[in-house]
Amino acid sequence: MKLSYDFIQSFFKEKLPPPDQLADLLMMHFFEVEEIQRTRDDFVLDVDILSSRASDCLSHMGVAREIAAIAEMKYSLPERRVKEGREEIFGKVDVEVKDDCHRYMLRGIEGVKVGESPSYIKKRLRSCGVKPINNVVDITNYVMLETGQPLHGFDAAKIEGEKVVVRRAKKREKIVTLDEKRYELDEDVLVIADEFSPIGIAGIKGGIVPEIDKSTETVYLEAANFDSKSIRKGSRSVGIRTDASLRFEYGIPCELAEVAMERAVAMICDIAKGKALKGVIDYYPEKTRRPEISFEAEEVRNILGVEVPLKNMEKILRSLEFKVQRNNNAFYVIPPYFRLDIKEKEDVVEEIGRTYGYENIKEDPPREIIVPRERAGEFLAEEDSKRSWEALGFFESYNYSFINEKMSFPFNRKELIEMEKPVSLEFKYLRPSLLPGLLRNLRDNEMNFKEVKLFEIGKVFRKKEEEVSERKMMALLSSADDFHEMKGKLNKFFERILIDEVSYNECEDKGGLFNEHHVAKVLYGGEVIGCFGEISEDIRKRLKLKSNAMMGEFDFEKVQELHKETKEYDPVSRFPSSRRDIALLVPQETLYDEVLQKIRKAGGKTLRNIELFDVYKGKEIPEGMKNFAFRLYFQHKGKTLTSKEVNRMYEKIIAVLEEVSDWKVRK
Amino acid sequence: MVKRMKSEDIDQLKDRFLKEVKKENSSKERKKICKRYIEEELSSVFCSLKNLSGERKAEIGKKANELRKLISDLLENEKEKVFQAEKEFDITLPGKNVELGSIHPITKLQKKCERIFLRMGFAIAEGPELENEWYNFDALNFEEDHPVREMQDTLFVKQKNREELPSQERFLMRTHTSPVQVRYMKDREPPFRIIVPGRVFRNEATDSSHEINFYQLEGLMVGENISVANFRSVVGYFFKELFDADVGIRLRPSFFPFTEPSFEVDVSCSICEKKGCSVCKKTGWIEVMGAGMVHPNVLRSADVDPSYFNGFAFGLGIDRIAMIKHKIDDIRLFYSGDLRFLRQF
Repeated sequence: MKLSYDFIQSFFKEKLPPPDQLADLLMMHFFEVEEIQRTRDDFVLDVDILSSRASDCLSHMGVAREIAAIAEMKYSLPERRVKEGREEIFGKVDVEVKDDCHRYMLRGIEGVKVGESPSYIKKRLRSCGVKPINNVVDITNYVMLETGQPLHGFDAAKIEGEKVVVRRAKKREKIVTLDEKRYELDEDVLVIADEFSPIGIAGIKGGIVPEIDKSTETVYLEAANFDSKSIRKGSRSVGIRTDASLRFEYGIPCELAEVAMERAVAMICDIAKGKALKGVIDYYPEKTRRPEISFEAEEVRNILGVEVPLKNMEKILRSLEFKVQRNNNAFYVIPPYFRLDIKEKEDVVEEIGRTYGYENIKEDPPREIIVPRERAGEFLAEEDSKRSWEALGFFESYNYSFINEKMSFPFNRKELIEMEKPVSLEFKYLRPSLLPGLLRNLRDNEMNFKEVKLFEIGKVFRKKEEEVSERKMMALLSSADDFHEMKGKLNKFFERILIDEVSYNECEDKGGLFNEHHVAKVLYGGEVIGCFGEISEDIRKRLKLKSNAMMGEFDFEKVQELHKETKEYDPVSRFPSSRRDIALLVPQETLYDEVLQKIRKAGGKTLRNIELFDVYKGKEIPEGMKNFAFRLYFQHKGKTLTSKEVNRMYEKIIAVLEEVSDWKVRK
Repeated sequence: MVKRMKSEDIDQLKDRFLKEVKKENSSKERKKICKRYIEEELSSVFCSLKNLSGERKAEIGKKANELRKLISDLLENEKEKVFQAEKEFDITLPGKNVELGSIHPITKLQKKCERIFLRMGFAIAEGPELENEWYNFDALNFEEDHPVREMQDTLFVKQKNREELPSQERFLMRTHTSPVQVRYMKDREPPFRIIVPGRVFRNEATDSSHEINFYQLEGLMVGENISVANFRSVVGYFFKELFDADVGIRLRPSFFPFTEPSFEVDVSCSICEKKGCSVCKKTGWIEVMGAGMVHPNVLRSADVDPSYFNGFAFGLGIDRIAMIKHKIDDIRLFYSGDLRFLRQF
């Protein structure tokens, strides 16, 4: 809120600290001053009034009260008293919407001379960004800026009938507002009406019909209290937000209406030379009750961690206009009417703490017992995984949790979770997979880098029926590797985070993300934990990707579950190992895995390691065949193997392999 | 019996030497061979000359001296070559490139924060990013239908008849990590000491300092008689460790529905040491954290009795701290996947 320094000064006889010092004081005890602006004849302080204090501090009076308490200055509200004439106020108020309107006051002033406002009013209005119009309208605005209570003035002669009604608008009811804009209303909106039609949108904006102008003689002034939710709903429905609606939306105290009314009427009588009509029309069925709060000084000390002297506590609360009764250490307080934010003990502690000054609270280490809780195991899996990919040459990427329409095609539409009014269509759906993000990264990096190797660990989101769910996934992408290089890196990864025995199997791709021939699912103990493969031609075309790449995605929650921290040591044999090579001719469609299983089974425990060092097709190899070249390592844990023993095992393996028709060991 | 030395022995020695020297292609090694022949082989020849006499001694002596001349000339020559070669060796040529990956700066900073809090006995907790309205707002003492809820620029999930659903079934992307406070406390007994790192969301236009998703680190400590002074101590230590400098903190009053009292926490600028620079906007202080004493209504939401327990909570923007530490001027770089950026960490 923009506050006029000159306006604030009007509450004090003493001189205020200079604007920058005042701003520092407010910042440390109250709220942040975002900007101090110097104008021709004033300073404007833009204070960030937080919502909890909107009910009393969207006003110069409220901020002045705060300054009085924190700077220990004497503050007084300039006195304004209404002298009523003999003529009685005429008419009646009929509130049809009891839940939406907590108070409705009307007063009248006759013989008003509408003209220009005195210069001090115009200056203060301008500082606050309000355009002066005429003295009566200016006074209603001035008093709102002073007290926080929105006011509204009508020309009594322009109101038809004998009563003012507060009611819901009828469907399609129309109104033209003071700024000459036409609105069509509905039942969500409250209106102030005469006997025939609306004369204003309640709490939001006045209508043009009873506008105050040069010809106005009798002014009726409204000070009301509308329910914050109703005004919020109405304001959204008509699409208007004003200084008045803002204050009602946050909520203001009912008592404020009479304070503001008294001041505004007195000013109109004084400045516009009017005469107040006798009596007030006041609909005010239920007085607001204030909470009564009891606490011990010790509780304040326990929360703040500092001993605020009893006398200081009492003084602080009194300066903030609390009613205070103290019996030694026991306090019984009632907050002032304007503090709607004070509800319980903790609220009072904050008042004491901030006014006393948080800078007076010194560091004090907690003396709580440390109770060991959850182990950090699952977080370790994430750290280990990221470190492993880093070591394998991959860069960690963070992508948005959203995808646009274009990236959504490979996924089942029914599973996508759509956002309500996202700021940009780039964020239309929650990401159902991490792969679209990495593909986008590939495209963006291709220009600058020959090789792109990325990984990401993050949440993905899907829905089944109306059930939404999220899951942590791990994805990788590499344009530097072919299928088997990538597979080698995956093996290395699983080995490093101690998940042994992952296996690979053929898989059908669901959405056309992968090249259907170069894709495999990755299993652990028969359960699928992810898949990887080559990007499909379709994706490459759609995204205009230059390079080919491998990518994969894994269920990271499974990885976390399987991840182990500690590896069991495999003793190094003291005995030498022996090496034998085998060249095996097999039909071209024979899978490596089949051969491997056979050798492993035949070799038994003493066959420590099997290395495939060449796969060859072509010259010297018969049509339709290929040659696997294996190197076998034999090693015993308890003795040196003689060459006779090694040969015997070697021969056995050869025999087993040759049992398969079509397989032939080359000698 | 001792074998008598013959003049042919010197010839053989010479042959052996030449053969050995020719085989070696590094000057350094040839130098070594020369030295060995002079110091070992030839010196033993000269030693055994004592036992000879007359013509034979003169003949062998002459031959041996010639061989020594040959070897020492060669040695001089090689010394020169080695010297030359070492002069040509360029230690300033670039090292061979090794391609390693990297870990995202946000991950790194998050881990650093975690380590500091783990040392103070905090545990790490997590919660869903796709949250329901009850945990994100209601449980945290946000009044229903209050403008405060709008301040959060919430990104809601599109749902049929959303308005009619109870708040537990209305979904949104969490606007802060605070819902995890209630989720964590709900099925456990106090005391609590946790941090909650994680991704949060705001539905606002992105620019150099705003993103639709970013990272927060939530902290919560609940027990008997936890005070603002305790908070100052814990958070004061944290920032000293985080910035690896003797930084100070200050608390300013603020408002959050889920804390009472509430503070903004400023940390003294470690870059200019409070003298005023562009990072702290010439104030000497940087706003880094929202915090406060947990509101009794939040404890009630989590079935913790506020008459026995209280505590503090705070929320730290990880992206912002990372930007300050690495002098990054655009938050969007974190979510760009741009290798020109990622490679630097």
